[in-house]
Amino acid sequence: MFHPAVTPRVAAANDPQMECGVQDNVAPRQSFADLDRWMERYQQADPDAPAALVGAISPALLRFFRSQVASREQADDLLQETWLRIHRVRHTYRPGEPVLPWIYAIARRVRVDGYRRTRRITLHEIAMELLPERPAPARDRNLGPAFDTLVAALPEAQREVVTMLKVAGLTLEEVARATSSTVGAVKQKAHRAYERLRELLQSAEGAKGAAQ
Amino acid sequence: MNCDDLAKALSEETPLPLEAQEHVKSCKRCQELVEALNLPVAVESLPPATLQQIAGGIATNLHPVSPVAPAGYFFGAFAGIFVSIVALYVYRMGALAIAVMTPLQTVAILTALAVSTGLLAYSLVHQMIPGSHYRISPRLLPVGIAVSLTILIAVLFQFQHEQNFWGHAWPCIRVGTPIGVLAAVPFWMILRRGAILSPSMTGATTGLLAGLVGTSVLEIHCPNLDAWHILISHLGVAMLCALAGLIIGLALEVKGYAFNSLNSNHKGDLA
Repeated sequence: MFHPAVTPRVAAANDPQMECGVQDNVAPRQSFADLDRWMERYQQADPDAPAALVGAISPALLRFFRSQVASREQADDLLQETWLRIHRVRHTYRPGEPVLPWIYAIARRVRVDGYRRTRRITLHEIAMELLPERPAPARDRNLGPAFDTLVAALPEAQREVVTMLKVAGLTLEEVARATSSTVGAVKQKAHRAYERLRELLQSAEGAKGAAQ
Repeated sequence: MNCDDLAKALSEETPLPLEAQEHVKSCKRCQELVEALNLPVAVESLPPATLQQIAGGIATNLHPVSPVAPAGYFFGAFAGIFVSIVALYVYRMGALAIAVMTPLQTVAILTALAVSTGLLAYSLVHQMIPGSHYRISPRLLPVGIAVSLTILIAVLFQFQHEQNFWGHAWPCIRVGTPIGVLAAVPFWMILRRGAILSPSMTGATTGLLAGLVGTSVLEIHCPNLDAWHILISHLGVAMLCALAGLIIGLALEVKGYAFNSLNSNHKGDLA
């Protein structure tokens, strides 16, 4: 399967197989169209707003956390923590500004804090037994490694950018806002990530060839 | 078009140009990369009960909030506090340095301090609001300002070998540092109205801005024009305050100090 236009969003639009669920890793942009209106209503304490926002954004946030952390339990915890913080700082959203960078900036911070917390706990606890490793999802051998597996090999900053661009479907400008950096810096990180991914793919291909 | 150009093209938002598409067709490595970027991500469903639980928790204690004030309001507050404290101390201590500096030195150093203050205040205003648009990286700005001011001072003033250097430097540091600490208090009060996502970055920026209040007072008051003296005991005040802000911010981050705990008025909303 080959798509010159590389974003999964575009690929999904071009490929009927993807449309029916194989490649639905990017939150459809249309579902976020009314977010700014819902955010304003949320600030005005409209009782329907929380359910609408949680329903629209949570799946994308879960995907973001799952691409960044290991377990589903951790991702669920981070999702709840994110909503708690969004609720506490909802006054900092300015009507008219894009909602997604605001939300992902908070989610990103929650992930960093969660990582620190987990590391602290791990350092202070004695492992009683080794947990079984998370089984890799069953995939056709011909397809090669999954997107998550590939991206997991990237340095944290690059992984974050690629995840936001390719999984969350944010634009360069939105990723720059969410990561408190400039568009140029995001482009540079994405460029380095793609170079690194190409090297990884090449070495994986070499290893496969040697095994055969 | 080569493989590196393709990686650059992939980093852009626009669809791949025709020549890039041609390159992908002919290059196996790039073809693999493009395919990899289109690989599926495991999609896991969220139980409706979880979504309802989150939404229900939020809706329980929902009350209206006013959106945070416009950026210009906070920028004005930062600038107003800066100017007020500098004016107050210069009034009390006197503007002895203005009388001994050349017009070029006066204009250049005061302009540089004003521009630095404006840029730091602008950065802080954006750091208070998650997902803000930055034209200058907030991580690089404090470093850039510190380096620029160092170079400017080195160019504008002459390096002399003072007798009893620390005897002259210490009184300036002792006067400037408390001014910086004093300025940090109202700055912190303003920052509490937003959401601080990175305490270390915001701490360093706030510390540098507060320290520049002390530096500005010393630059206007102290008639010692030795470049070493200005760098160590005037600009050093700003550096010390920035370092203190960075350390405090890092300590808060390590302790797991969540940004939302700054907003005590919104605490307990989901309890």
